[in-house]
Amino acid sequence: MRDLRKAFGGVRAVDGCSFAVPCGKISGLIGPNGSGKTTTFDLLTGLTAPDAGQVLHRGENIAGRKPYEIFRRGITRTFQVTRIFREMTVLENMLCATGLRVPDRVARERAEALIAFVKLGSLRGEYGGRLSYGQQKLLEFARALMTDPDLILLDEPAAGVNRTLLQQLLEHIHHLQERGKTILIVEHDMNVIMNHCERIFVLDHGVKIAEGPPRDIRGDERVIDAYFGRRRR
Amino acid sequence: MTRSEHLRNLLALGALGLVLALLPPALNVYLRSFALFTMMYVVLALSWNIISGFTGYTSFGHVIFYGIGAYACAILVADHGWHWLPTLLVAAGVAAAVGVALGYPVLRLKGPYFAIAMLGAAEGMRVVATVWDGLTHGGLGISLPSVENSIPTYYAMLGLMLITVLVAYAVGHSRFGIRLNAIREDEVAAEALGINATAYKLAAFALSAVFPAVAGGIQAYKVLYIDPPSVFFVQITIAMALMSMLGGKGTVIGPIVGAVLLYTAQELTWVNFPTAHLIAYGLFIVIVARFMPRGLVGFAIDRGWVRKGMVH
Repeated sequence: MRDLRKAFGGVRAVDGCSFAVPCGKISGLIGPNGSGKTTTFDLLTGLTAPDAGQVLHRGENIAGRKPYEIFRRGITRTFQVTRIFREMTVLENMLCATGLRVPDRVARERAEALIAFVKLGSLRGEYGGRLSYGQQKLLEFARALMTDPDLILLDEPAAGVNRTLLQQLLEHIHHLQERGKTILIVEHDMNVIMNHCERIFVLDHGVKIAEGPPRDIRGDERVIDAYFGRRRR
Repeated sequence: MTRSEHLRNLLALGALGLVLALLPPALNVYLRSFALFTMMYVVLALSWNIISGFTGYTSFGHVIFYGIGAYACAILVADHGWHWLPTLLVAAGVAAAVGVALGYPVLRLKGPYFAIAMLGAAEGMRVVATVWDGLTHGGLGISLPSVENSIPTYYAMLGLMLITVLVAYAVGHSRFGIRLNAIREDEVAAEALGINATAYKLAAFALSAVFPAVAGGIQAYKVLYIDPPSVFFVQITIAMALMSMLGGKGTVIGPIVGAVLLYTAQELTWVNFPTAHLIAYGLFIVIVARFMPRGLVGFAIDRGWVRKGMVH
């Protein structure tokens, strides 16, 4: 993205943010609360339109496009608080992500494969709303993969999730990356970010203040300042 | 559902259609009329369910399409000498066009706002019909040439009901249908999954407009006289909404069951207590909202008698 800006009334959530997400790698997007991470995701996926700036995907500016247009270009996301369809079954949740041009048999095979991938097979006929929180997170993750997207944005995948499930999710994420997918993770859990991301972007007050591999970010003064405030001199 | 289950359901529908087709000679005029009205309410409830149950945009003014259909038929037969059957196609076409034109602005509204906008639209159409007397004869209403049509209208309504059931079934158990459900559940998330909500909503709305319009046309021809208050009658909207909700909003069998039960109950009470059905409506609304928000079919699903979900 290039010089992205978005203000809500007087609050400049994203204020001239620019960075490039490397293809085929797992990257992290971190920053203190209110730094503009989720707004950036919303701008990338079309849930909000930017006031200024561009989002370039394969040379095309997709900023301001509708969410379904962006989805059809191979970009999907999960949400901070899961948005699975509660009164629909697990299988239906999966199937509705495929366009109607995809033949029924193909859609079903893919849905069943992904359901098996996240080990929700025995719950395929259960309502989404009856699943546990962790199961819902897995469902949302699997659902986002139905159209075999190239870029996957994960908004706090570790939030509220036990260590075992987190391990499973991270294995799935690495598996996807090995298949050539690009993944961008917003997270507060530093273990996840430092141990699994190749490149990290740090936001503060809507701008990118640092960028680099984990070992650089770990010791970066600007990042520490952003999280913990200025050191007294 | 598997192919064999679909086939079984199709056969059941065919058998029902056959039984209903063979009935008329055995019935007296009153019972024939009763059967016709029951079938009509099945059509209305199923149609209402497409936009309000599957898609989650609860319409409180769906009678607008019924009234449009009634007027399309009446105007063409009485003032232009058309045969009644082709007017039904015109009714369908006009309703679809109005559905898209009205739906485009109105489907931007959410929940209660959409409901009230539809109520306003129906009332507005009633006023238009009253005022535009050059076209509609205004408050005087339109009288159609008197003719014995009890049997033909019965078969027309039967045909319409079978078509409506097939369409509702095809929508409800398809991926198109579950994409509509996704819009109902969480429109923002649905859009993020590639669903062009505007296009889908308009399609559902137009589809839900067509069958009530044809029903209105058949009714106009049956009763041979219509005027604005009788065809843009808010109680018709209430009836189709309640039938669909009682049976199970968002399912296919629900509105059918709801329509049959509620209309039968209404007729039985009306015979003895002419206005009691209004009290009964109120009572049913309270019972459904309090004890069975997902209707009879929802109740059956919770008990495990019916499988969860529409696509398996």
